[in-house]
Amino acid sequence: MLLTGLGLGLALGFTMQRGRFCVTGAFRDLWITGSTRWLTAFLIVVAVQSVGVFALDAAGVITLDPQPFAWLATILGAFIFGFAIVLAGGCATGTYYRAGEGLVGSWFALIFYALFSAMSKTGALAGPVAALRGVTVPASTIHGFLGVSPWPLVAILVTGVGLLARHHLRLRSPLPMASLPARSTGLRHLLFEKKWGAFTTALIIAALAILAWPLSWATGRESGLGITGPSSAIVNYLVQGDAEVIDWGVYLVLGILIGAFIAAKGSGEFRIRIPDALTTVRSIGGGALMGVGASLAGGCTIGNAMVNTATFGFQGWVSLLFMIIGTGAATRLFITGSARVGTSPALVPANR
Amino acid sequence: MAQHVLETDGQVCPFPLVEARDAIARLNLGDELIINFDCTQATDALPRWAAENGYPVTHFDRIGEAQWTITVQKA
Repeated sequence: MLLTGLGLGLALGFTMQRGRFCVTGAFRDLWITGSTRWLTAFLIVVAVQSVGVFALDAAGVITLDPQPFAWLATILGAFIFGFAIVLAGGCATGTYYRAGEGLVGSWFALIFYALFSAMSKTGALAGPVAALRGVTVPASTIHGFLGVSPWPLVAILVTGVGLLARHHLRLRSPLPMASLPARSTGLRHLLFEKKWGAFTTALIIAALAILAWPLSWATGRESGLGITGPSSAIVNYLVQGDAEVIDWGVYLVLGILIGAFIAAKGSGEFRIRIPDALTTVRSIGGGALMGVGASLAGGCTIGNAMVNTATFGFQGWVSLLFMIIGTGAATRLFITGSARVGTSPALVPANR
Repeated sequence: MAQHVLETDGQVCPFPLVEARDAIARLNLGDELIINFDCTQATDALPRWAAENGYPVTHFDRIGEAQWTITVQKA
């Protein structure tokens, strides 16, 4: 039933494109505007998924199997990954869905991300990556370390995120937000035109993330959503022709790409867009660093920061923290800092 | 009242927003800033930024496949 991966990926890619769900943006906003709106949406996915995952575990549908915490590689890799996603202009899923929107810069980022993931997992960089990941502490999950049931932690997380969401829902801007004029009605308007709210999008993604666990499990791939492993597997398959590496996750990431393309095409948001020289170089460098960073950290913004966090793994939460710090460093350097010089467009008086 | 155009086509997010923020700082009160952009995410980020800062949006539309324009008045 590998095809369930394709179906889930289609839904995920579609939702992320229509909802403009961008984890890089969520982390970056903290450093540019100080806004926590998208971070809250991201945490809604973690909190809701947490309830679902521990319920599935309790019901015996899945069995969570904690691994020793590779703290050094996680800290290092997460910082590199957080830094790299600013250069690449999107995290792993963000890059997949922007590739589906026709951004050629994201095609470059995606190719180098997959290539360097494969190099780090099974290729030229596998030795050092494995050595760094060999530095572990026996602690694995927060509740395991504390010797308590995960449910109190789930309750704390859900309450905290709920309060944060309530705070954002109560915020009122001085002016109402402008929207694009409607051109269609009914289902077509809802799917391809209407603006999807950040929190609604988060709830849909959370449902898909929960569903990913039993669907993936049923095919023998015992984990939830993940992007880096499958991306690396695609490279391995393409260069070695070994069909054994094609698993549920490979169908998932291909689904994300196609789902985002359908969403973008259907809403008039697909166009092949060629980046300038600077953006191209940054996309390539960012993609390569993303591959190394995610392999070191044991996951990307999805596998670690969104899924492993939901199981209260140390790897997930430490990753989330260091990814945000890495994003901040790159934002200061490349967006709000001096390296931005040379990209600024001219401000010209309009012909009236 | 003067109108100014900021062409950000080809720039990925968050650059359209960062550039718009810089550009509007250089305008006089009542002036309008026309921002042309082709980064999908900015269809959310730019109108939200305008609303949160109390800048009226006088025009917001699609001008082609994955191309948009928004006019924001400095107030």
